Amino acid sequence: MNQNFSQTISFQVDDPAPIIALLEQWDIDQASCDIMGYMGIRLLADRENLGRYMIIADFGVVDPDVSAADEAARNNARPETQATSAKMLEHSIGEPEYHHFDELYRTDF
Amino acid sequence: MDPAHGTGPDDDADEVHLVARGIATAVAPATGLTDVQADLLQAIASALTGVDVDYRVLEPLGREELADVLAGKDLDYRQRIVHHMVLGELVLRPIPTAVAHRVHQYAEALGVKDDFVRVARRYAQGAYGLAFKDLQRNGFADHVQAGGEGEIQHGPSPAGRGASAPFEPAQVDPELAARWHAFADLPPETLGFQVWDMYDGRGFELPGTPGGAPAYLAQHDFVHVVADYGTNLKGELEVFSFIGRADPDPKGFAWLATLTGLFETGYIPSTGFFDRDVRERVIQAPGMHRRVADAIRRGKVVCQNNNIDLFEVDYYTIADRPVEEVRESLGVPAKGASALEAGSVGLADLAGMSETQQRMIAQRRGGTT
Repeated sequence: MNQNFSQTISFQVDDPAPIIALLEQWDIDQASCDIMGYMGIRLLADRENLGRYMIIADFGVVDPDVSAADEAARNNARPETQATSAKMLEHSIGEPEYHHFDELYRTDF
Repeated sequence: MDPAHGTGPDDDADEVHLVARGIATAVAPATGLTDVQADLLQAIASALTGVDVDYRVLEPLGREELADVLAGKDLDYRQRIVHHMVLGELVLRPIPTAVAHRVHQYAEALGVKDDFVRVARRYAQGAYGLAFKDLQRNGFADHVQAGGEGEIQHGPSPAGRGASAPFEPAQVDPELAARWHAFADLPPETLGFQVWDMYDGRGFELPGTPGGAPAYLAQHDFVHVVADYGTNLKGELEVFSFIGRADPDPKGFAWLATLTGLFETGYIPSTGFFDRDVRERVIQAPGMHRRVADAIRRGKVVCQNNNIDLFEVDYYTIADRPVEEVRESLGVPAKGASALEAGSVGLADLAGMSETQQRMIAQRRGGTT
């Protein structure tokens, strides 16, 4: 069984709309480019801390010889990822917090 | 095997076996080919080439060796071989990452860069949302929209052709509705009457009327009549296998790939006109591998005869012609004995209808429910 990997990004913004637009465009771009480990993304709003948000980006294995975490690292090094990240930072109040997780379980088929 | 240009029984049996070995090696999970894979691939090889290959006992063939075998073949040919590989993996659930990666490596070795290889890799990865976006953008929708801009026309353009979003919910269109209502007055042997009868008997709303199918989608209903396939899920899989292979553009494979994802593995939630339904595994049903293979064979013959996407034929201008005459003009071959033995029924056969359609037919014929 391949182990997926997730990166979380916590951040503060006044208006999430530009972030949503950025992520939608990101997905559209990823869907039509060569496959890599990126699987999908979620943006969550914190109900207790208004203006606080978390992105969960999931990565999986596409090449049996490359782990999902390594795929994520490769993704991070791509110019388009850096560009999207920079645009996100323009909207963020303060520095985002990054965390990295190996997936141990998920509800699946 | 020569899916693009093969001449059936004249195909070189040795080459067919070599290609089959390559396909089997590419799509085999660690435990070996599943029965569904072996049966389906064997049936397709047999239907297209006339060569019987037992996929369960083939020796492996590496991607470079397969590339050597196919070195003299054009890109379309090699791409269709890759599509057989993709079909072989799409019937797996889940698709092992190693299989999807291996098919990618085989495709690369054959010099084929194909959207469906990538879609299958996304399924294997579990990235279903991204796969669906990919299929919509680079396979299915892209193909349909490109088809809408084609130059092949035999008369006035059917409503909806070339629309930017051909599968959006249909609009009420009195002119289109009138054309369909007029089919009811044609002689019973005509294409127009029979497609109208198909709608009327099953209680389908006519295109152009509230609740009716989009005009573009209704194009495939003419093919139900011409190819004589039922309207339950098995019949839909047959008709789209036929349409997909009849398309001169290899991207026609999108139809079969999409329907497999909808009705077999559930990888696809909806196309806008069909919704996911995996209550009954269609390809795994007894005999379906032979029915799908025969539909692909018939589609291939139509492709060779016409070089036209069947979604682009203007059926409205030939609606007053007898169905047999339309079949002849398109060069539609009869169903094969193998498909008939496997239960491929005609459009009018109750066995080719869903339970809901059967109930509606019974009501229309004066039954109770």
